[in-house]
Amino acid sequence: MEKEGRPVQIVMIEDDEGHARLIERNIRRAGVNNEIVPFTNGTEALAYLFGLDGSGEVSSKKHLLVLLDLNLPDMTGVSILEKVKANPHTRRTPVVVLTTTDDEREIKRCYDLGANVYITKPVDYENFSNAIRQLGMFFSVIQVPEI
Amino acid sequence: MDNNARRLLRTTYAFGTAGLATLIVLIAASFWFVAKTQSATDAVLHSREQISVLADLLSTVLDAETGQRGYLLTGEPRYLQPYEDASREVKSRFAAVDAIFQNDASAQQSLAQIHAAVDVKLHELAQTVELKKSGKSVEALAIVNGDRGKQLMDRIRELVAQQSRQADQALKDNIEEQRENASRARLFAFGVVFVMLLAALGAIATIVKYTRELISARTELETLNAGLEERVKERTADLKRANEEIQRFAYIVSHDLRAPLVNVMGYTSELEASLQTLGTLAEDPHLDALASAADVKSIIATDLPESIGFIRSSTKKMDGLIKAILKLSREGQRVITPEKIQLDDFFNSVAASAQHRVVELEGEIVVAKPLPVIESDRLALEQIFSNLIDNALKYRLPGRTPHIVIRQVSSGWGATIIEVEDNGRGISPEDQERVFDLFRRAGAQDQPGEGIGLAHVRALVRRLGGEITMTSELGRGTKFRVILPKTLQSDTERAGGKRG
Repeated sequence: MEKEGRPVQIVMIEDDEGHARLIERNIRRAGVNNEIVPFTNGTEALAYLFGLDGSGEVSSKKHLLVLLDLNLPDMTGVSILEKVKANPHTRRTPVVVLTTTDDEREIKRCYDLGANVYITKPVDYENFSNAIRQLGMFFSVIQVPEI
Repeated sequence: MDNNARRLLRTTYAFGTAGLATLIVLIAASFWFVAKTQSATDAVLHSREQISVLADLLSTVLDAETGQRGYLLTGEPRYLQPYEDASREVKSRFAAVDAIFQNDASAQQSLAQIHAAVDVKLHELAQTVELKKSGKSVEALAIVNGDRGKQLMDRIRELVAQQSRQADQALKDNIEEQRENASRARLFAFGVVFVMLLAALGAIATIVKYTRELISARTELETLNAGLEERVKERTADLKRANEEIQRFAYIVSHDLRAPLVNVMGYTSELEASLQTLGTLAEDPHLDALASAADVKSIIATDLPESIGFIRSSTKKMDGLIKAILKLSREGQRVITPEKIQLDDFFNSVAASAQHRVVELEGEIVVAKPLPVIESDRLALEQIFSNLIDNALKYRLPGRTPHIVIRQVSSGWGATIIEVEDNGRGISPEDQERVFDLFRRAGAQDQPGEGIGLAHVRALVRRLGGEITMTSELGRGTKFRVILPKTLQSDTERAGGKRG
């Protein structure tokens, strides 16, 4: 129960900075003030999540939430998801897949790999911000232990 | 190849005809030889008869003489019997001789001499016999002793012998001829058989040659065929790869296009939100103090919202197009699963799902039964026919209640043709191919849509191994014909088939 009392940190892996900023703005609008650590490629994100030794020890004492885009320049989000869910230190970390891909097989695959939420980025901004706001509520649920 | 075959046929016919002609000649010649041999045989028999008849005549005359001598020597009347018999017989003997030599002109003279000699001889014999009878034995013997009778007899003998020799010669000639005939016939037969053998050998050689050519041609053809199959397989694989590439391309492009679009839409909305704040600023009376107040107000109230409106509508449209491409590419990737579909029930359910709108428009959908059972992908078929019915309802002619007929038209060769006919506004001839293109639409643009329906339908029909055609008359209605294979091979079957 060491983790208790520590704020949840949002790791945002999103190569499109515009998207990242939009997501951040909407998260903030939803009233979520947690720290957001942005990454624009998979390599750096993995280094952060699993540490320099790649063991994942560094994340064992953190409350993390991963916001994951599937289309990354250096690797697919799916392989990041796979690694996160396979590592004993990070596998309980909630992963929210937030991507433009709305292919059923892709969605199914992500859930099979252990994704907690899969959100398709709607082009329609109303829906987009709605989705993020709902995500904000989801975050607040996760935040409960902190309060 | 064709020329060759014709030449071969000609050669074979020539050999056959030659053989047949030779055979006919042989048969005719055989008849001829037989007839010739027959006539020679007849001639032989004739000559023999001549000889025998002459011999008979001579022996009869001799009999008569013998009888006469006996009587003259003994005076016994019993010796007279052979003489009398012979004298009587001579006539019939001559008749026989005349009959046999009837057609022998060369013999007539010598026959006449024989006749005369015999007559004289018989007369001498009769004379002596009469003398003896009347007891004048001495006179009778004197006549005999006078040697005239002997001379006469010798002459007769010689004449007969001469004639006999002639007949014998003729006999020999005929026998010789017969033998020659036989040998000629044999030679001829050998010749004919030789010619026929040649013809048969020629024909056989030609046939053997042709058969060899055929076999080599067939082997070549088989090799070519195998190569062709291989090439078709390669091409099919190429096509498949190209097709997959296009689909992947479409998929990736549409996804990558979406990402920036999310930004455009998102920040446009952000701008809108900011504009609202600016709007409250524009209401601020302090602003009026500024010289540019009017411009700023008009920008905030009109220009900016207008610009943002255009950006929004354009991005929305673009999103629609991208979605359409995505849908099509996804359709191409979907695995089709053939199953037996009772088209009667199938169209009932398709019609039922459109029933709500049909009732609303007071129209009707008629399914002309019975429809066959086909093996195809149900989901794809549903999409195809719902799209067609949807279009028929959407593009109805204003003021006319929609009437849609679904029927089967003459199908064959493993295909089923389903026709969907409506009484809608129709499509003008120049638009008829265009309507199947992606993002293209025809007629008045008074209905919502991206121009993807028919493109989608055509892609689906082709995916099911079929084809779609259309006939339409502006203002009268449109007929779509969906040609589907009766049995659809699934993807795996097709792949398996290719390997095999």
